Amino acid sequence: MTNKEYDVIVIGAGHAGCEAALASARLGCKTLMLATNLDTVAFLACNPSVGGTAKGQIVKEIDAMGGEMAINADKSLLQMRMLNRGKGPAVFSPRAQVDKNAYHVNMKRTVENTPNLFLRQGEATKIVRNDNGGFDVTTAVDLTYSCKAAVLCCGVYLNSRTLVGQCVRESGPNGFANARFLTQSLVDLGFSVKRFKTGTPARVRLNSIDLNKTVEQRGENDVAPFSYVTDKIPATKRSCFLTYSTAETKRIILENKHLAPIYNGSINGVGPRYCPSIEDKVVRFADKEKHQIFLEPESEDTCEFYVQGASSSMPASVQEQIYHSIEGLENVEIMRDAYAIEYDCIDATQLDATLMAKHVSGMFFAGQINGTSGYEEAAGQGLVAGINAERYVHGKTPFTLRRDNSYIGVLIDDITTKENTEPYRMMTSRAEHRLILRQDNADLRLTELGRQIGLVDDNRYNKFLAKKQQIEQGEKQLQTVVSPKIYAPLFEQKNEPVTGAGLTVDEILRRTNITAKDVQTLGFLKDLNADALYQIEIECKYRGYIEKEKEAIAHANKLENKALPEDIDYMKIDGLRLEARQKLNNIRPKNLGQAGRILGVSPADIQILIVYLAQNIHK
Amino acid sequence: MQDTIVALSTARGRAAISVIRMSGSQAVQIAQKFFYPFPSQPNLLKVGTLKTEYFDEHAMCVYFAAPHSYTGEDTVEFHCHGGTAVAQAVIEKCLSCGARMAENGEFSKRAFINGKQNLTNAEGIIEMIDAETASAAKAGANLLENKLGKQIVDLQDKLLDIVSACEVALDYPEEDIELPTVDTAKSQLKEVGDALGALIATSALGKVARYGIDVAIVGKPNVGKSSLLNALLGTDRAIVSDVQGTTRDTLSESVNYRDIRFNFVDTAGLRDSSDKIEMEGVKRAKRAADSADVVLHVTDDPDDRSVYPTIRPQIRIYNKKDLFDKEPCCVDSLAVSAKYGSVDIIKETLYDMFSAGDIETSDLLITNERHLDCLKRAKQQLSEAISACGATTLDVVTNATKQAWETLGEITGTSTNEDIINRIYSKFCLGK
Repeated sequence: MTNKEYDVIVIGAGHAGCEAALASARLGCKTLMLATNLDTVAFLACNPSVGGTAKGQIVKEIDAMGGEMAINADKSLLQMRMLNRGKGPAVFSPRAQVDKNAYHVNMKRTVENTPNLFLRQGEATKIVRNDNGGFDVTTAVDLTYSCKAAVLCCGVYLNSRTLVGQCVRESGPNGFANARFLTQSLVDLGFSVKRFKTGTPARVRLNSIDLNKTVEQRGENDVAPFSYVTDKIPATKRSCFLTYSTAETKRIILENKHLAPIYNGSINGVGPRYCPSIEDKVVRFADKEKHQIFLEPESEDTCEFYVQGASSSMPASVQEQIYHSIEGLENVEIMRDAYAIEYDCIDATQLDATLMAKHVSGMFFAGQINGTSGYEEAAGQGLVAGINAERYVHGKTPFTLRRDNSYIGVLIDDITTKENTEPYRMMTSRAEHRLILRQDNADLRLTELGRQIGLVDDNRYNKFLAKKQQIEQGEKQLQTVVSPKIYAPLFEQKNEPVTGAGLTVDEILRRTNITAKDVQTLGFLKDLNADALYQIEIECKYRGYIEKEKEAIAHANKLENKALPEDIDYMKIDGLRLEARQKLNNIRPKNLGQAGRILGVSPADIQILIVYLAQNIHK
Repeated sequence: MQDTIVALSTARGRAAISVIRMSGSQAVQIAQKFFYPFPSQPNLLKVGTLKTEYFDEHAMCVYFAAPHSYTGEDTVEFHCHGGTAVAQAVIEKCLSCGARMAENGEFSKRAFINGKQNLTNAEGIIEMIDAETASAAKAGANLLENKLGKQIVDLQDKLLDIVSACEVALDYPEEDIELPTVDTAKSQLKEVGDALGALIATSALGKVARYGIDVAIVGKPNVGKSSLLNALLGTDRAIVSDVQGTTRDTLSESVNYRDIRFNFVDTAGLRDSSDKIEMEGVKRAKRAADSADVVLHVTDDPDDRSVYPTIRPQIRIYNKKDLFDKEPCCVDSLAVSAKYGSVDIIKETLYDMFSAGDIETSDLLITNERHLDCLKRAKQQLSEAISACGATTLDVVTNATKQAWETLGEITGTSTNEDIINRIYSKFCLGK
């Protein structure tokens, strides 16, 4: 009936969809990417920034495996910062302000120029299993496309509605059309669907802001590019501005609380606790007099500014009063209203670690449709889903990441193991091994894997090998003994006690006040580039802690390596509490480690499983 | 479906009665084959006849229906006459009808699998079974009551407060949240560390409560060491003679006094001898002294001021005081007559020396090596966190604090690993 046949169809062209489609096409699958509107490709629907705590690490990981997000952020950069300086390398997090228009244009161009990848506008209205064991996808204009594997990256578009006070629209973000029919296909395929909520603040006009009442924030010019293959990024192009809400803001919100959809019951979706609207903040943290507000530039092409920290779903007239009560925004012109958005998403515990549905083989899911939030979280999933869609089509073994090698591994394990009751955001505290999962070593952790998969090209791989070689070269110098004559002047200058004995380069670098740059002034580690030098420095200074972390991983892996038989009937293990039995039967964890992370499965339940396994293996 | 296990629940050997216990889905059906009249309902102790291969035993039988039993399974108990032969015959009968011999700790393991016990409970039960004195039983009972668990949960809670405050600082650097200063974090960590230190300090008394006080009796030949042992025990345990070198090997025996167990070790008299066997005994005496908690250095000479060479604290005992014509020279020593008088003053002194009286009033003692190990590790991790405050970065401080929190969780079973369970169950004695 149709010649529209593809290996892989990706539904959705947001941050998950783009990574999935690019990975699939680059690995040799004839790939179709469907979007309701081609102007939404890689659209930054909320804040004009990429990265941040834990998210910055994810961007680096995507890059290390040959994904696109970091390169695209570097291309579209307005300014770059490193968060958490001074709190330790485990939590250093790069964050970029990016140009929203450029980001969309650059990504769309990359997609258009990728062989095997076909970009097509069309709202997917139906997806069904076809006779060939693949899927047929029908669009709103009644065209049908078929594929062997499908990746659903529908973002917040499924049955979405936006709310501004009592004004409700059946709409996707930013006035883009929503997708009204696809949820039904998912229900028909046996997926359980839930409703989540999120929101975005107003955009305001730059030249109506009284910048004298704000604090300017420029980028930092000593931060490395996001991508390991970007050589250089521009200096700060646009500034951010910091300001605060006032007592007046609080008064206005409390007076109009009954008009906010979250408080008068007209929103059903569950919103994230970590990203509250301004009305939510004022009500929940009543003792706080003022809240911090960041003003971020949307693009070089426009004077629109994003008011971070002040998302709202109040009526537009109340929004005006709220924004006018913020310091420096007394006369601000609102250009786009803040709104809340509700949407359908699936319960991601129905997926396995490749992001394929356990009960519908060949169907993958990535991004906000899985109940996550954030561009970076979406892109990380998109990459893994895209890789696995290709591997599924070509009959290769599945590819999975682990909690001990990446934040993306932590993310996927979390969402496929624990039922989320609110949109899932990555945080460094979710990663138990964060001392190892750093933004500076994502390439050392993952590039070799990316090479095996086939997404790491020669240019990236050679850069990676060169860095590794430099590190090895530096490590060799660490054992060189330096006489006190040479290091004493430096030590005195840096307030380090001089013992009079010879010290190795390693011992010198481990001193609290000595940096790798200082060591270079002594004539060692001189020929290393900044990246390699930094690796050597961290590995030296944090060696004790890193070793401990590795022991902890080995310890944790004892449970990770204890496989749970596929046919185990948890309902028959009487010692397990009923809730645990049901959860285990539904989620069917692969191993004891994963079982222990299921909400509702207690450590006592795991102990029982350990004994149960021991008994049944010995039988 | 669980198979059915059987074991002797009471002590092996001569006793007035034996209790044989059977647990599993077939327990009742098996028992009905050879005991009649079988009790008509659960929890009812019934007199009847138990037919073995060799004889008919007049016995009592009771059964508990799942899940209302110790193991959570159907359980049958036979209360028979004591002695090895009877118990053996009953167990053989159970085996021939389809039960199998229980493995070490299997009853408790099943109780655990069936959700009848948690980890600390299980450990409390081991200690109750092993308890030889009222003090040890009290310590075990405290575990069962979960007193330790409650304290640990409190401490974990405090650590969790610190950890979560640090995590917020790490994950939300751009929010203007009031962040924990290094100083407050440090003092909070120190507070928990001190509480752990106090718990660890109770382990010395905990050892006294659980295992008692090890006392070595040393001295020259013929000063009456063995007589003293007999007097301390109140029995004629050691062979006593006036021939030098009668005691050639060390001899251990325990006695309870005011709810404390005293483990005495009588040793060979210390002298130079050419007798190889005797010299080996002397060597052993020295070893016994060095591994005891305290040494009783016995002499029968009121002018003796000598000190026994040992790393352990020692008390000088002037024995045979009935023969002295003057006061012993050292006033910080004890004078007794093992043959003609009471030696309770020795036990009383030891009792005071180890503050054993505090056991009665103390709320909680650490008596379990695994708990002690966890507490020490957690304390070490906290010290690392404390020394990391200021010296290195917050990510490291937070990690070390988190580890301490997890280590404490091992005590209550909120963090789990297989090693703990293996160790616990290897400690269970058969039949319980």
